[in-house]
Amino acid sequence: MPVPVPVGVLRLPRGPEGSSRGFSPTSPRFQALLGEPVAAQGVRATLRERYLRGLGAARGRPTRFCLRAGVCVEAVFGAADVGAMAFQVDALRTPLGVQAAALLRCTDVLAYSFLLD
Amino acid sequence: MNDWQRKSPLDWEKYVNKMVKVAAIEKHEYEGWVLTVDPVSASVVLATFLENEKVSISVVLGHAVQEVEILKEGDDEMKQRLSCIFAPEESKAYSPEELEKRKNDLKTWLETNHIPVTEQGESGRTLCVVGVLTIDPPYGPEECSSSNEIILSRVQGLIQGYLERQQ
Repeated sequence: MPVPVPVGVLRLPRGPEGSSRGFSPTSPRFQALLGEPVAAQGVRATLRERYLRGLGAARGRPTRFCLRAGVCVEAVFGAADVGAMAFQVDALRTPLGVQAAALLRCTDVLAYSFLLD
Repeated sequence: MNDWQRKSPLDWEKYVNKMVKVAAIEKHEYEGWVLTVDPVSASVVLATFLENEKVSISVVLGHAVQEVEILKEGDDEMKQRLSCIFAPEESKAYSPEELEKRKNDLKTWLETNHIPVTEQGESGRTLCVVGVLTIDPPYGPEECSSSNEIILSRVQGLIQGYLERQQ
């Protein structure tokens, strides 16, 4: 029987601060966990719900992303992660051709827009 | 983090349903009605109504926002119009009597299955299960909320099964 070769563990780097996954004590998510007035919590929930419904509405729609340095790319919106770190897109049109699937870092994106019927 | 990201949800709420001009980094400017501000990323969601009855949604990410200026307040009609944009299509309007009946049916069913349930909120419109899970009108699996995900998924499954058997 062959002896299994140990495999090195790949550790991903920490995400950038400010839009991190909520483990950083200065992040808005963690601050929210520490407790805030009930009114603020209700408002937070309402705002977040609308935002998530908006993400749901964006799914599958052709979307135009404005990136840094005046770069604009078009893609089909897929999904966003919980801490706003990256957007997953399909059919990303780049100057080098069409990427079937791609992740766009949120820190690189300034804005994106899409049409609703 | 910029000043905009540091604001509290109560500050962001003041911009909702208002026409604003967002000044972003690299001299970008965006105008539209504020649908919401994401409390996690501070991204501003703007809607603009086009001539062909379509709605253009623009999202300016929180890290890119420099300044937000309110141009116009929204009237009730505009608020209604904005709140409909992302509303789920299958949402159905129930009359107060129907809601009361749905609530009582579900409560009775939960009680016959020995699940402790109480009423809370204004006129007891919210059902509370074991004190850790609440069910809001119209009392479907989607209206359950709890910070305990195991209880949440169990109860959602139960209600799903209950509603399927009713049909």
